[in-house]
Amino acid sequence: MRVKYFILIFVLFIGMPQSFAQDLGDLLKEATKSSTDDKNTSTADASKSKPAFNLNSPSMQEEIQIGREITGNLLGAAPLVKDAALQKYVNQVGRWVANQSERADLPWHFGVIESEDINAFAAPGGYVIITKGLYRKLENEAQLAGVLSHEIAHVVKNHHLKILQQSQLLDLGAGLLGQKLGKDNKTVQNLIGSGAEICARSLDKNAEFEADRMGVVLTARAGYEPYGLPEVLQTIGQTGKDESSVALLFKTHPHPDDRLVKLDDAIGNRLDTIKEGQTLSQRFYKLKK
Amino acid sequence: MKINKWVLFISILFLPGIVLAAEMGTALKADNIRKEPYSDAQVTGSLVRGEKLEILSKQGAWLKIKTAQAGGWVRLLSVKRGTAGSGSQTAGLQDLASGRAGTGQVVATTGVRGLNEEELKSAKYNAAEVKKLESYTQTAKQGEQFAKSGALKPVKVVYLPEPQEGGEK
Repeated sequence: MRVKYFILIFVLFIGMPQSFAQDLGDLLKEATKSSTDDKNTSTADASKSKPAFNLNSPSMQEEIQIGREITGNLLGAAPLVKDAALQKYVNQVGRWVANQSERADLPWHFGVIESEDINAFAAPGGYVIITKGLYRKLENEAQLAGVLSHEIAHVVKNHHLKILQQSQLLDLGAGLLGQKLGKDNKTVQNLIGSGAEICARSLDKNAEFEADRMGVVLTARAGYEPYGLPEVLQTIGQTGKDESSVALLFKTHPHPDDRLVKLDDAIGNRLDTIKEGQTLSQRFYKLKK
Repeated sequence: MKINKWVLFISILFLPGIVLAAEMGTALKADNIRKEPYSDAQVTGSLVRGEKLEILSKQGAWLKIKTAQAGGWVRLLSVKRGTAGSGSQTAGLQDLASGRAGTGQVVATTGVRGLNEEELKSAKYNAAEVKKLESYTQTAKQGEQFAKSGALKPVKVVYLPEPQEGGEK
């Protein structure tokens, strides 16, 4: 129901006269930006003609602020696993993979949370969280790199930021352009909705397939066996649809089987030349329990 | 008594077989089976979508498999591992019964919560955990050192294009 409503508003927006759409865009700009010295983004905005998806990217600091807020809420639902060696290891692998992306400039943070669910989350600004339940399913470092690289791809592509921008648009639209939002922390909280609910929202299917394709490539670029991510998808695909540990994952993502088929279509024989990818199973950090 | 002994005997006979049983899989799509794990290797058979198979070993992007008719190498991505429909329905029911599903109550055995929509929505910002998370952060340089210690070498790979057929925007 909510989705339909959302699409309706969105379609309405697309269909709006350009000037009106621009107003909405400006409002959103107010909501997501607190500084005006951002020549790069404003010229980028002007050069592209699709306002709905190109509404002023926030500055890196704002991006991080949004990501920290979301991640902090997520950690409120499930804290970090109390194992410093594990957390450091995941940050080492993640950082190295993130170095291969277009956003090596971000201060990437990775964490494993205390949950037996099988899931992973990304938030703007370089925050990546995976559950202990998912970590348990991994067999080697290449697979960990694969999982993290999928999330890194979401951050690089601003997938969640786009969701926020769209829903912000919805709020503004529904509130009939009521009042402009303030520029404090409340703005961020308004932007992300209640708690970590954005972590329970689905991205567009194509965004997931895109993150899979990018993830495989980032894993390969880092020198790992490129099939780490597909292997994990194969493992997760064996989990019964009705098991609660995958309920949220399966609700918010295409089924692993579909993702594998899409990946196969995209890969073909393109990665056949990569022969020396490593799995590093001997270095893979084993959970204490 | 006599019967019980037989059951035990037979069980023992079969036990090593069960332990060593190869992993099963299903063909996700029609594909060629090849003699070697290379895309230009000789074709020795074919897979039909949905066909059951046995996975014998893995090498890079390839799986060595055996079907009722043929054996050889197929692309890893053409195969779904595990028996179809594995993972039991009862697990979901057990979760329900234990109060884990939906309510997010602490499970006695594992002591952790689920992560469902309601819990995520009502989650409150935890500043101490954020601080902890950020304390583990590695710099780009540290990442490089870590890679070096594992003899990981960066490789130039271009991003994969979106496959043609499902390209709706």
